[in-house]
Amino acid sequence: MKATCWYGKHDVRVEQVPDPKILNERDAIVRVTATAICGSDLHLYDGFVPTMMKGDILGHEFMGEVMEIGSAVRNLKVGDRVVVPFPIACGACFFCDKELYSLCENSNPNAWMAEKMWGHSPCGIFGYSHLLGGYAGGQAEYVRVPFADVGPIRIPAGLQDEQVLFLSDILPTGYMAAEQCSIDNGDTVAVWGCGPVGQFAIASAFMLGAERVIAIDRFPERLRMAAREHGAESLNYEEVEIAEALKDLTGGRGPDACIDAVGMEAHAHDGVGAYDRIKTAMMLETDRPIALREALMSCRNGGTVSVAGVYGGLADKIPLGALMNRSLTIRTGQTHVHRYMRPLLERIESGDIDPSFVITHRLSLDRVADGYRMFRDKQDECIKVVLRP
Amino acid sequence: MQRREKINLMRIDRLGYLVCGLALVGWGMRRRSIARSGAAGLGGWLLYQAYTGYNPMFTPLGIRVNREPGEATANETIVLDQAITINATREELYRFWRNLENLPNFAPRVSRVEVFDEIHSRWHIEAMNGRAAVWESEVTRDDPGREIAWRSTHNEVLNHFGSVQFRDAPGGRGAVVAVHLEYVSPAGSLGAAVARMAGQAPERYVTDALRRLKQLVEIGEVVTTYGQPAGANRTEGVAGVDSSAH
Repeated sequence: MKATCWYGKHDVRVEQVPDPKILNERDAIVRVTATAICGSDLHLYDGFVPTMMKGDILGHEFMGEVMEIGSAVRNLKVGDRVVVPFPIACGACFFCDKELYSLCENSNPNAWMAEKMWGHSPCGIFGYSHLLGGYAGGQAEYVRVPFADVGPIRIPAGLQDEQVLFLSDILPTGYMAAEQCSIDNGDTVAVWGCGPVGQFAIASAFMLGAERVIAIDRFPERLRMAAREHGAESLNYEEVEIAEALKDLTGGRGPDACIDAVGMEAHAHDGVGAYDRIKTAMMLETDRPIALREALMSCRNGGTVSVAGVYGGLADKIPLGALMNRSLTIRTGQTHVHRYMRPLLERIESGDIDPSFVITHRLSLDRVADGYRMFRDKQDECIKVVLRP
Repeated sequence: MQRREKINLMRIDRLGYLVCGLALVGWGMRRRSIARSGAAGLGGWLLYQAYTGYNPMFTPLGIRVNREPGEATANETIVLDQAITINATREELYRFWRNLENLPNFAPRVSRVEVFDEIHSRWHIEAMNGRAAVWESEVTRDDPGREIAWRSTHNEVLNHFGSVQFRDAPGGRGAVVAVHLEYVSPAGSLGAAVARMAGQAPERYVTDALRRLKQLVEIGEVVTTYGQPAGANRTEGVAGVDSSAH
């Protein structure tokens, strides 16, 4: 089959590889009909994530048709159309019982690596480094799905692939980011980063009762999308000083909740950006927590900072004084996707949201390298790339 | 969990430190230069460690030494403790483990166990370099539902003794399986520290064994990626990284 293989920084290639096989009784093989490049794939593309090996198959946002099932899978049958959540979860451990699926204790065969880096291991993830299990991903023609009796959700006929594909990751991720803010009616929420996750976080904040959402980015097309699709106000951080502007916009108090939908490769145009670039280049920190710092400094007293952006290692100059003295709450985590798929599918069916609005580019799988480059460099106003194998 | 001893260098390390420390100091004092002063300083530090028996760099790696082990044929052992919580009763877990023929299903590198009687068994091991090894093992304590202790005999790969305890987890949340293992490290604490940093120490095999036991009991399979496709002409999926796969 054809698959997207990682070869190193800024080097992904479509290659012929062997077809996947059922390896365990609870596996399924899915023929991928649509897959996408995630913002977090760019951290792999930019070489920010350790424990990648040449030839690793990428991709954790995908859907398709069930081709083959293991002997213990009873809830799916061959031919079912499914969306697969990016975290791999067993459905039976302490954390799965608590619906904290991305913390599944049983799905990471390389848990010892994650324990070295992070103390304890989260779940395994498709196509996202050996640290998180080394599972082959779904930017391919076929993919093996472990615990197929737990993760995949069946999609009713009548819904297009593009309407439901993002149930695999970014729609639940944006939703969880907003849910973590414990929004009260009338709240003001500020969202750093208006990529696809930021867009869904903005939409979800409004769905959960926010009165105002302030979108922060530097790309005009992304800010325009936030305004056009959801009615968000916008701030371009290349034009204004964000902390000051947020104070002005919120009567001096600050937003009730702040969402970091950026993560470890944040940019800044000022001295702060240079500081973090130098420190990461010298390997004195691994992550550039620029958005997180701003969110912590800007949030109102007693408010919540919700972190959906991905961080990998260590970061510097986090304003803990602001966090402690101003009674802030931080909530974060890899998304517990399984928990949100059904309710969000219902919202899609009822017309509350049509997630396909974020798609700007549709490519064949053969052009995946172009897709990565365009998405990374925001060429041609690229916001979301969907691939068809 | 036993008290952390303030000594984590074995006698062989201390002897090595003494020799190297004296050599460095001797070389460093012969003439004056920055390099020689540095060498003398390092030598002094090694001598100080040889005197105290404590290397602060080993502490974060969890290197613990038992200087008076009860059972090993050598006179010092490296000590490790690992535990996992499993959704099952301690009696179930005890019964599963007590049938030693189950071990190859979850213990990495144990390919086969022959059980001769209640006490004696022979373990077939795939050693690091791809060679096969064999050791014999005898049960030294058996408290049904609570503890099994054993020691190895005729063992040239990993001379060790240990125990596994089965305890109720608090709050009715299953059971805790706790392994205590002591092994002889021919290369001393330093060798154990290097192996641990490389992720190839016995500690790693115990962690993986416990995790796979949990998977077998909770979900009925051992998770793996061995045999999945990959590019770059890699043949066996992620062999080499997932080195404990079988």
